[in-house]
Amino acid sequence: MKHWLMLGLASLFLLTVACAKAPTDKLAAAEQAVNDARTAGASTYMTEDFAKLEGLVANAKKEIAEEEGKIAFLRDYEKAEQLLASAKADAAKLAIEAAKKKEEAKVAAVQAQQAAQASVKTTQELVAKAPVGKDRAAVEAIKADAEGLAASLTEVQAAIDGGDYLAAQTKAKAIQDKSQAVAKEIQDALAKVGGAKGKKGKAGK
Amino acid sequence: MAALSLALGTAACVQKAPPELVQAVERLDRELTAAQGAEFAPEEYAKFVEHWTAVRGRMLAEPDVIRLPWEPNSLVADLRKVQEQGTLAVSTATQRREVERQQAEARLTQLEERLQTFIGNLDTMGGRVVLGRRPVETELLAKQARAFFEQGQFSRAHRTSQQAATLLDHQIERLGNELGRYADERRVGTWRNMVAQTVNWSRHHRSAAIVVSKADRRLFVYRNGRAVASYPVSLGYNGILEKRYQGDGATPEGLYRVVRKRDRGDTKFHRALLLDYPNSQDRRRFQQARAAGLLPPKATIGGQIEIHGGDNRVLSETLGCVQMENRQIDALFDLIEEGNPVTIVGALGLSNAVSLALAELEQTDEG
Repeated sequence: MKHWLMLGLASLFLLTVACAKAPTDKLAAAEQAVNDARTAGASTYMTEDFAKLEGLVANAKKEIAEEEGKIAFLRDYEKAEQLLASAKADAAKLAIEAAKKKEEAKVAAVQAQQAAQASVKTTQELVAKAPVGKDRAAVEAIKADAEGLAASLTEVQAAIDGGDYLAAQTKAKAIQDKSQAVAKEIQDALAKVGGAKGKKGKAGK
Repeated sequence: MAALSLALGTAACVQKAPPELVQAVERLDRELTAAQGAEFAPEEYAKFVEHWTAVRGRMLAEPDVIRLPWEPNSLVADLRKVQEQGTLAVSTATQRREVERQQAEARLTQLEERLQTFIGNLDTMGGRVVLGRRPVETELLAKQARAFFEQGQFSRAHRTSQQAATLLDHQIERLGNELGRYADERRVGTWRNMVAQTVNWSRHHRSAAIVVSKADRRLFVYRNGRAVASYPVSLGYNGILEKRYQGDGATPEGLYRVVRKRDRGDTKFHRALLLDYPNSQDRRRFQQARAAGLLPPKATIGGQIEIHGGDNRVLSETLGCVQMENRQIDALFDLIEEGNPVTIVGALGLSNAVSLALAELEQTDEG
């Protein structure tokens, strides 16, 4: 009886001490940290580092699964916990770095947007002075171009609002370049006619 | 026994990762970052990352594991495995990235060439105004695609080029709808009949008559049924279209007559020949278009369509008239009398500037 009691106590002790619990809380925390890093832009701005981070979590999950496949009192989650701690710490660092890069991209996009806006404004002012005359078709085409450029500025804003700073920057740069080309076209036309302004046409036609 | 233990202790090795192997794997890791491994070889990269992080973890956690001489160094074996995976991932990513780069470049180059042809032909046929601001939007997309490409964003460059190409297809289709009549045999036949009628009138009445071809942007003068002169002209800013209402910038097509000669002092355009636009056919067409809801609500039919000179100093507006150089309108003015016919047609034949430009555009069409 005494032996049975001893055996029972020993088994209870083993079960209590040796049956390690899967680190589900730590896994959830690491996954949350990875999500935070993604939200901060890590998957876009630090793609490869982010993939490594995901690799760490995948390793931890694999480790947990392997341990769970063992007999209860042989399970040891220490390695998985280390991996998860490492993933959590890396994710936090990555989130900070990605946020920094994202902010830099945003600043660059906003600067490009402002330059494009200024360029379009200059072009629109020149369009108002465009010589209305002999080549009316060219003037109308220039006006249509200026309208198209102004309308495209809304796409830049939409890309900024959507967090797609690369698209915003490239679109803004394209607008600025084209706007400058249109402005030059008008300036050349103005130079040809000596800055003369068109007279109003007569009614009809 | 003690001697055996000593021998074993001496012979046992501490498991360490060879630094050159670790460096080789680290180099692969950097190469994969440069080759955008996560984007171009996601599966291979994920395997590499997974094993590399695991082995690195072991290297940090078990720096001094003692193994017996006959036991294999598992860390070295694992590192070699990681190296293999890394090499495969680098090779796959580099290869796929190059394929993507080539595809994006081909797409972009094709788009830029099409766009160049498009804009050139658009100007030739005078169709730029017809499309409004759409050409500039396409041009912006093409520039954006080029920027993506130069930044190594090949997938985005490809997608953006595709988007621009689709816009271009729609514009070519729209031009075909608006200007397809220049390539339409029946329509061109009608125009030729109108011209023949005018030339016959000139022959029978032994008088002068005018024919204007919008596609050629040229005015022909006939006397006694024979062409005696031709002059380049400019049209309304949207002259290539059929006139529908006042202010649309289109030049009307039809059989007209000179109803009034406006000499110097009577016009601000040097000299002018006023036509009888709108005639009964124009009025009928206008009513039909209005009934079909094709006109803006407050549209009127307009008038005051002339063949006139252009004073370069004051710069005249051409809203649908036919405009000539002053010295040329001087020559024409002396030849033409009130009542002489003026026939304005789209083109004189099927091979006209607009139909040829349209055909060239349609050849580049991908849609």
